[in-house]
Amino acid sequence: MTEKSLLLLESLSDGVIMLNPDGMIIYCNPSVTKICGFTLTDLFNKSFDFFYESGLDPVRAAYELKTAEKTGRFDSEGWKKKKDGKFWGCLTISAFGSGTELAGYSCILRDTTQQKNEELRLRASEERYRLMAEGVKDYSIFLLDTNGIITTWNIGAQIMTEYRKSEILGQHFSIFYPPEEITKKKPELELTVATATGRYEEEAWRVKKNGVHFWANVVVTALYNDRNQLIGFSKVTRDLSERKKNEELLRLSEERYRLLVDQVSDYGIFMMDEEGRIVSWNVGAKRIKGYNADEVIGKYFSLFYPEEEIIKAKPAMELRVARSEGKYEEEGWRLRKDGSRFWANVVITAVYNSSQNLIGFSKVTRDLTERKQNELAINETNRRLRLLTEEQKITNAELYYANQELEQFTSIVSHDLQEPVRTIKSFLQLIDMNIPETETLLKTYIGKSISATNRMRELILHLLNYSQLSKGEWVMQTVDVKELVATVQQNLITAIDSSKTKITTNLQVTQVEGDRVQLIQLIQNLMGNALKFSDEKLRKIHISSVMENGYVKFGVKDNGIGIAEGDLHKVFEIFRRLNPDNLFPGTGIGLAICKKIVDRHGGKIWPESTLGEGTTFYFTLKNKSTAALHEEV
Amino acid sequence: MKKYKLIIVENDEDEQLFMRQGFVASGLFDIVVMVREGNELFEWLNQHSSALPDLILSDLNMPGKNGFEIIADIHKHPAYKIIPVIITSTSSIQSVIDQCLSMGAAGYVTKPDSFVEYAPFARRLHELVAEKNLA
Repeated sequence: MTEKSLLLLESLSDGVIMLNPDGMIIYCNPSVTKICGFTLTDLFNKSFDFFYESGLDPVRAAYELKTAEKTGRFDSEGWKKKKDGKFWGCLTISAFGSGTELAGYSCILRDTTQQKNEELRLRASEERYRLMAEGVKDYSIFLLDTNGIITTWNIGAQIMTEYRKSEILGQHFSIFYPPEEITKKKPELELTVATATGRYEEEAWRVKKNGVHFWANVVVTALYNDRNQLIGFSKVTRDLSERKKNEELLRLSEERYRLLVDQVSDYGIFMMDEEGRIVSWNVGAKRIKGYNADEVIGKYFSLFYPEEEIIKAKPAMELRVARSEGKYEEEGWRLRKDGSRFWANVVITAVYNSSQNLIGFSKVTRDLTERKQNELAINETNRRLRLLTEEQKITNAELYYANQELEQFTSIVSHDLQEPVRTIKSFLQLIDMNIPETETLLKTYIGKSISATNRMRELILHLLNYSQLSKGEWVMQTVDVKELVATVQQNLITAIDSSKTKITTNLQVTQVEGDRVQLIQLIQNLMGNALKFSDEKLRKIHISSVMENGYVKFGVKDNGIGIAEGDLHKVFEIFRRLNPDNLFPGTGIGLAICKKIVDRHGGKIWPESTLGEGTTFYFTLKNKSTAALHEEV
Repeated sequence: MKKYKLIIVENDEDEQLFMRQGFVASGLFDIVVMVREGNELFEWLNQHSSALPDLILSDLNMPGKNGFEIIADIHKHPAYKIIPVIITSTSSIQSVIDQCLSMGAAGYVTKPDSFVEYAPFARRLHELVAEKNLA
């Protein structure tokens, strides 16, 4: 950012906030702190609705961000949180980014408490009177201008005369008079009297829209402003005929009702009159909102809105949009009877009767809470996934380097560690060659040194072998078990012959899946141990392969020294040796290698033994069919 | 039997000594020169480009230019690429052997267990070279 644009941002009197694509705050200018008392440190990486006095709300936040992204901006007016209280403010959210890639959101925060208070105060006083007059059902109450033109209309007037607000405003009030009264200029006379005396009252016949006469009590009052100028008249009329108003209401309600599907339960569908008062109520509305029909009919639909929305005059705005555009649609929080919230999809449609007069609105509400929550969960999962992928990338990189190091280590072991051992051995051999046969003591020492270097070399090779097992190339193939055992016997022929060991086999399973080289090593190590750990005169080794539980179970059984029960679990530990070196030399890596090979083949290996009687090492492998099954899964 | 002209690349001086003894004793090779690593090898080749050897026997791990680099650089050179390079090392890891061969080594021979066994080593090497008709 250039110094100038930074200066501009920092000096703006409106709060400027920048959000990342997840809606988290990443910047705010000093004015934000001036407005709400929070500093960037307080706000950093908080969701933008941190400011909302109503508290964090991921559902609403996601909707607002999405709307801002879709339409370019979103204005959130309402109570906002301050470090020491609340203020009425407006947060304008705009999405930005290059192309279709969303880079984040910029927001403007304004404190509009003062304007709002002013507006509210003004509206409250006017609204009180308006609502009072409009809500009266038993009296027709309306205003006339100085010429007798009707300028307001209440529910009572509508019930009494059957004229709707939309068709009566702008008409002369003489419309309610029988024709003979009009020719006598009665209406004008009444106004003249009222102007002169302040008031006119009478009981007389009036006419409804449908031509029916009714006997009415009428009071006309002249209205003056604070400079004593006549500004119009109020007219209060009472129907003195005995017709029941309730019946009338019901009839009107039924007329509207026909326009609706009542028994729909997935959608809340109800009708409102032009003012937003509920006049019908269906099963779905009852289900979603929790009110019975008799609890809501006649009430304003603002009943379902949170307090903040009502202060913002949102319900009235929705009707205004529906009136001018035919339809209003949105998603937002609504209240149930028990005060709980639900995320609603709302469509308000203006309803006209056959003569194209607005008779009210239909409102269709759908409860999206569950869908919204799922969406939110998916978003959250995606976000986590993104984080996880990032972490995994790092881990992978680390693993890559760890692997590199392991390669390095392997190379050191295989070469750098072997090299000096070779050199030592070579010179020991040279010394040995140059010492006369008579120096028997020296010859013995050197012989011991040479066998130590041999052992060292063996150890290095085994270790290397062990480390190579986990990495890289191995070939899964079908291996002939008989051939496997024969190869091992051939490799160990010297040891078998010199120990005069009798070898028997019972190979019921003849084919397994595995890496041939590793399997040879596995069986060779086990047989090598069986040959080694024995002091018997008549040594026996029995090799078996049987099917068991879908796996091939191999056994290598000897009649050697055995393993104490408490030691059985130790045998696979690397460098673990259970017997004294002078009796049974070894590196302690052989069985660790066996375990690793079996692990890699997806099998199990375990010993069973009785001390002094012998040991059987079992291991399992997949045969061709189970291996195939395994791969399909 | 054909006597091959051989360059040996080996950084360990003791090993060099025993290699020379073993190869001379076998009577199967003429050691043209012994160098300690790849840079020295190429320096020598550049100075004696009219008398190139039949064969190069190189250790793998050496300070300076190692065995892998020698295989690669020999192959890049228009005049030297005809010289077969056989790698010798204590390592018997299959992946290392495979890597040498895939880079273009003519062969891979594991070093003997001790220095005193270089005469048999020389005989095996001669068999290998003759058998594969390398030089």
